[in-house]
Amino acid sequence: MKQQMANTKMNTKNRNNNRFIERPRSFCSLGGALITVTALPEVVPILHTAMGCGGSIYWNQYGSTGYLGAGYCGGLAVPSSNIQEKDIIFGGLDRLEEQVKSTVELVEGKLYFILTGCTADIIGDDVQSVVRQYRDEGINILGAETGGFHGDGYKGHDRVLTVLAREFIEKRKNKKNNKINLLGVVPGQDAFWRGNLLKIRELLEKLGLEVNSFFTERDTLEEIRNAGDAALTIVVSEFYAIDAAKALKETHGIPYITNPFPIGPTASNEFLKNVAETLEIPFDVVHKVIETETKRYFNYVERVADAYNDLDWQRYSVVVGDVNYAPAITKFLADDLGWLPELMVVTNTIDDTQKPKINRVIETLISKYPVTVAYESDPTEIKTHFRKIVPQKTDRLFYDDFSPAFVIGSHWEREFAFDIGAGHLTVSYPVGNRIVLNRGYAGYDGSLSLIEDLFTVIAAQR
Amino acid sequence: MNYLEQKIAPRREERLGSCIEFGGTVDEIHKQFCGCCLKNKRRAFSQGTICQLLPATAILTSLQDCVVIVHGAIGCGGAVHSQGASVRVGQFNAGDKNPKGALWLSTNLTESDVVSGGEEKLKHAIIEADKRYRPSAIIVLSTCIPGIIGDDIDGVADALKDQVSATLLPIHCEGFKTKIMATAYDAIFHSFLRNMIDGKDETEFRIYDNDISTTAEKLRRSRLVNLLNVSSMTGADQKELTRLLNKLGLEVNMLPCDAHPDAFRLAPFAALSIGVCPTHDDYFMTYLEQKFGVPFVGGQMPIGIENTSIWLRQIAAKLGLTEAAERIIKSETDELNRALEPLLPPLRGKTAMLSAGEIRTLATAVLLQELGMEIVAVRPYHYDKFGVAEIEKLEKINPKIRINVATAQPFEAVNLIYRIKPDVYIGHNSDNVWAAKCGVSILPIYGTNSIYNGYAGVYDVARRLKRHLKNPSFNEHLAKHVRQPYKENWYSENPFKYILGGE
Repeated sequence: MKQQMANTKMNTKNRNNNRFIERPRSFCSLGGALITVTALPEVVPILHTAMGCGGSIYWNQYGSTGYLGAGYCGGLAVPSSNIQEKDIIFGGLDRLEEQVKSTVELVEGKLYFILTGCTADIIGDDVQSVVRQYRDEGINILGAETGGFHGDGYKGHDRVLTVLAREFIEKRKNKKNNKINLLGVVPGQDAFWRGNLLKIRELLEKLGLEVNSFFTERDTLEEIRNAGDAALTIVVSEFYAIDAAKALKETHGIPYITNPFPIGPTASNEFLKNVAETLEIPFDVVHKVIETETKRYFNYVERVADAYNDLDWQRYSVVVGDVNYAPAITKFLADDLGWLPELMVVTNTIDDTQKPKINRVIETLISKYPVTVAYESDPTEIKTHFRKIVPQKTDRLFYDDFSPAFVIGSHWEREFAFDIGAGHLTVSYPVGNRIVLNRGYAGYDGSLSLIEDLFTVIAAQR
Repeated sequence: MNYLEQKIAPRREERLGSCIEFGGTVDEIHKQFCGCCLKNKRRAFSQGTICQLLPATAILTSLQDCVVIVHGAIGCGGAVHSQGASVRVGQFNAGDKNPKGALWLSTNLTESDVVSGGEEKLKHAIIEADKRYRPSAIIVLSTCIPGIIGDDIDGVADALKDQVSATLLPIHCEGFKTKIMATAYDAIFHSFLRNMIDGKDETEFRIYDNDISTTAEKLRRSRLVNLLNVSSMTGADQKELTRLLNKLGLEVNMLPCDAHPDAFRLAPFAALSIGVCPTHDDYFMTYLEQKFGVPFVGGQMPIGIENTSIWLRQIAAKLGLTEAAERIIKSETDELNRALEPLLPPLRGKTAMLSAGEIRTLATAVLLQELGMEIVAVRPYHYDKFGVAEIEKLEKINPKIRINVATAQPFEAVNLIYRIKPDVYIGHNSDNVWAAKCGVSILPIYGTNSIYNGYAGVYDVARRLKRHLKNPSFNEHLAKHVRQPYKENWYSENPFKYILGGE
């Protein structure tokens, strides 16, 4: 196993992993995979891990994902082989087999999904042999290698979806022209995943599309199984779920497009045009949707314009977030809200070849607002990047301060915001000071919620 | 045997014969434990639970002026996302207007590290942490990956100790090594005892040459006690116990949670160590006595009226303060009983089920019984010799109280709840929701800025129970509209069906 990994996975060129991470802004791949599986309808996860992984991920999601609870069969109810030292030495497959058998006997599910942890992956337990064995017995079961050392939560998410695409979704020769699969919003890593997916889904439905969005209240396992006749996969991210989109292409012949995560009318207009162009939806259909949505957006914005202008709610801003949120929010602030996003900090660890994709969103801002882009994950280092563009405050009488200001980031940016006397809203991971249920920031409608939340922070100080 | 000579503290399975699998009644477990029949059981169905890394991060990230390095994959240490919230609240309550919360680093071990080892990465992290944060101590927690690939965290710490200004504390809490998460407490103290507490009198508690200051310091130390807190204690709990000890004229050196490393360095100079939970503190107090001659009292958790009084009496007996203690106990309990009176009628005869750490669960059961409630089931997270004294108390109340030893395992809890339908469930964080989905009223067994310890804790628990019983409709609605993941026939099965006998 070790040798195999050495041969296939040592891509030293792009290794940006030679250093520690201060307070990681991500689950491990097992955590991302587990939350993804528990977000799928009627699916029961089975962990093949040491005993603490289930608890660790649960405590993690609780504090980082808007107090996300256990749900149907997550949290400390998650079936888990809890392998011990003797299993590490002699192999853990017997224990796993027993656990799968008892889980199927005890727990109600339409699909069981085995996820491995570091321990099982290092000792090289062949989980697929257990999957095959139970599948031969007629059990609906899948498995994925998701040990934490394979990468972050986004990676685990991608691996689960890739297995679904390859082994669960049924092959269909004939595609439906108006049916699409929607990917790119990662449950847990995005605390607002349910609201975001639902808002994008509803927007696409207005174009006359039938949408499979995997993780919302409107998705079913049956529809996911039938996702093979979609004409297109739309990934609302330049980075997430790309392997899954590729697997849908390879296994089912479904092409995919990527589009930056859209927040606000400007980004949403561009998104809808991009989709329509790819699917050859007539111009007047798209134009009608854009017109209606924009009108609705301004119908609400009109009624906050008084306060925005009377109370001077324009703000200098710093945006800290992952590769989906950081550019999306920065664009919304610059192109729609008329704010001044001086600094955007992207928190994912990504190599230089990928950076142009993110920078492009900023380079093509309609407002042409000059935004400084930095790549940094460690919370205590955000301020260092800020100080590079904003000098330390002085006591001079006439001084052009970075004020009034606002920081949009994770809950860790509270301290930074406090230090520079700025307002603060938590949007990106970790989200530990907000409760998230059905709220979402995507699209036209979502940006109205974002306006509400930003202005509420300011108004609450009155 | 002197465990301190070894790099790694022993597992609780070996040291104490602790077990995590049992279903039956309190008289049965009492009999069987004494007959050593509880060892080496296992479950054919198990649910994800807590490994020793979780209590380790809970305690260690609360320390002042320390940095915790989790040497593992990026997800190990993720529990600090929620544990850090309490750390932040603690810092805020201590007066920090812009608290930073818990500070931890991950060495983010990846595929290539699994192949080529993670020691270099750990070295780099330690050196950088020392430069960047200038902490008093750097704590290195070993997880499953280094445990399997064989990274030598003690060797790394040893090699770097002269290069960094922080004290280095390597701690072994590999999740696969033990089924008893409480082994973490031994692992933590093991490292502090080996690497930090040397009994050298050289920081702020130095005895000065001057006769008067020497005498003053000696006098202070004759009244100085180590109070071993636990991470499930709130600031209010700590205040209550400090209040009682202050009343006895004692000065408190509180550790390990929320403490500065100096509190550990001071510990050998105290007149007495006081435990609040043998599951947490027996290892430390035993060695502190052996190495530095600090006597200790332990074994009793100050939760419940009688339990708190026993706790005070034991302390007083060691310090010759019995008369004062009796005076305090009398005045406190008289006042408490008067205050409790109006709260008790709605609680009388209500049935309760409890689930959490061994001693916490059993001691809280005794408290509820004092409030006139009926204990129908207890679910300690593990069981060993320290539970015996508490089990004897419960056995006296009713030998047929059900007991289910399990670290969470909600499938067993839910089966039991359907059978015995308790009015209230008093459970551990993350246990509670499964009882809530059965429609039962919940009182969390620790935390939430509330108070559970000492006499004030008794009153607060009664007050909060009354509140929960006043309007249980949230969970009642929940039970009608959400379902448990188990098949219907599970509720007619033996709840302990999946516990298999020794191998």
